[in-house]
Amino acid sequence: MADATTTEATELATLAGVIDKKMTRQLKQYLDLCARCAICKDACHQYVATQDVKYLPAYRAELIRRIYKKYFDKTGRFVPALYEGRDPDENLLDELYETTYACTGCRRCMYFCPFSIDTQFILSVAKAMLIAAGRGNEMLGQLADAAIFKGDNMEMFHDVIVDGFKDVEKEVQEITGDPTAEIPVDKQGADILYVALAGAHSIRPAAVIFHEAKESWTLSLFEAANYGFFFGDPVKARKIADRFMDEAVRLGVKEVVITECGHAYRVAEIFHEAWAGKKHPFKVTHVLEKIDAYIKDGRIKVSKAIELPITYHDPCQIGRNGGIFEQPRDIVKAISKDFRDMTPNRQEQWCCGGGGGIVAIDEMNEFRLKSGMKKVEQIRATGAKIVASPCENCRLQMEGLDEVHQLGVRIAAIMDLVVESMPLKGRDAAKV
Amino acid sequence: METYLQITSVWGVYLSIAVFVAGMAWRIWEWSTTPRSPIPLGMFPKPRTGTGRFFKMLKDTFIAPQSFRIEPWMWLAAMAFHIAALGAFVGHLRLIHEFPFLPSLLGEAGMNTFAAWSGSIAGVLMLGAILFWIARRTTGPYKTISVPEDYLLLALLFGVVIMGDHMRFVYGSIVHAATYREWFLSLLAFKPAFPVELTSSNVAFSLGTHMLFVDLFLIYFPFSKLVHTVGALASNYVRSE
Repeated sequence: MADATTTEATELATLAGVIDKKMTRQLKQYLDLCARCAICKDACHQYVATQDVKYLPAYRAELIRRIYKKYFDKTGRFVPALYEGRDPDENLLDELYETTYACTGCRRCMYFCPFSIDTQFILSVAKAMLIAAGRGNEMLGQLADAAIFKGDNMEMFHDVIVDGFKDVEKEVQEITGDPTAEIPVDKQGADILYVALAGAHSIRPAAVIFHEAKESWTLSLFEAANYGFFFGDPVKARKIADRFMDEAVRLGVKEVVITECGHAYRVAEIFHEAWAGKKHPFKVTHVLEKIDAYIKDGRIKVSKAIELPITYHDPCQIGRNGGIFEQPRDIVKAISKDFRDMTPNRQEQWCCGGGGGIVAIDEMNEFRLKSGMKKVEQIRATGAKIVASPCENCRLQMEGLDEVHQLGVRIAAIMDLVVESMPLKGRDAAKV
Repeated sequence: METYLQITSVWGVYLSIAVFVAGMAWRIWEWSTTPRSPIPLGMFPKPRTGTGRFFKMLKDTFIAPQSFRIEPWMWLAAMAFHIAALGAFVGHLRLIHEFPFLPSLLGEAGMNTFAAWSGSIAGVLMLGAILFWIARRTTGPYKTISVPEDYLLLALLFGVVIMGDHMRFVYGSIVHAATYREWFLSLLAFKPAFPVELTSSNVAFSLGTHMLFVDLFLIYFPFSKLVHTVGALASNYVRSE
């Protein structure tokens, strides 16, 4: 009996040790400072939609704080009861799993917090602890491993992938009416390495735009999506991003351009250098920054072809966490006649509820759609018929919301709308 | 009464100041010796220059405009409390030295009236904010996320403020700053002594109890969430990294 208790105590202490291993000055301050004032309460779309305390940002962080107090904080070790210090036992881990993998990492709570406490950062430690306990989300873990496998065994995939690109290339030639239009792959010395998502939908419109802008570009063999980041394992996340970062170094490009995807941009622009511990020899930009510049420099022609009222949703990882607010708006304004912004917008934009990998977690589907309540209200208030947003997870979520709430809106990627607003020989001829 | 005063208003003061200073120094040392997060944790929009970041940090810490936007009442209570606490702290500096200019400007009676008004306003604001926080913390979701630390701190603060208000409102027109100053300066000179105006009156009990709560509050301060007084500057700076 004594042995079982000792083993259990050792296991708990080992799990708690994850906090110590991940300890940084910022984490320590976030754990020490929180006054539990709960100003963050109404910042979280999940709490607002459910009124369930477990989704209150301060409470999500509190679960980690209570372990920290019991094991690592001097005062907490002296009088754990004062802080309700807890063990990372089964009950706590169950609760932690739900609150942590539900979090979309939008950091809206951090925006409103008087101490700017980064709940997502605290929850990254929670994910590390869940992974250490063998309780990381399986689906996200498998998707991450598959991406790493592809990177390690590229010779297996190379020809199949390039064949797929050739099919898209034919479509691009038809749309542009230019039989020489191409989708370059492995092109040494290109200016741009464009990193798309799996599937033609994020390659085709970009290829059309790059072709029309006469850009010197090449397409990455790897997709930008990073399930390692969602899973919560920075080593996996880094390996996944390394695939196209190494490709960029190999091809000697000047710029890595990330497709319309939220987390991939944040990973590439904000996190990767820190993970890799070295500076990139190239710039990282979002494809909408490029397209905005093409329009402003006159490198592509667009018309105000979109008549229907249109609104723009800031993906959290591109807006608040990525710093791109104006370029997508400028693009949408350049191609439409009736642009209506949501309220609130930009850094105060509500999260749609689809971030952080939650769209890949089936068991959270119902909850996820429920958590989009604020976004539904916002879209309704604009009266828009098109919602443009440059993040695949946002679009998936808002398509779901559209279906459930019968909003009657089209959820669109901005590149698609741009292509629709461009005069293109091939497509325009086919129309007539 | 002499013994009570000796414990709370002499030895308690020495002990609590020592613990407070050492405790805060230890906290700051712990933070500064823990390696920084390699990952930048800033959010947008953020200032481009170091100066811009510094001023944004000050604004986010001392005005917290975002917090006002999301919950104005909580912001108002917090602002009222912190400004009143700062006012009360400044007022307590009279324990060390009478303010320059003000007494000669207002006259002795005028100074007493000024102190009575400013002290009363600060005391009532703090009490109001504390009662608001107690009410808030004992209801709804706030209750669920609260831990004993929260209640302990509110109880200590309540004790400090209620006894301070008691001295202000009940004895304010009888015992003035000069009397308390005599006691406090004797502490600073390490020759603790109580003026007879204090020991001969019931104010001794009020002072003793005010100081009891002050001592406990200062002793616990560095080991509680109240380290946000210093830490918020650092964490708000990281916001625009």
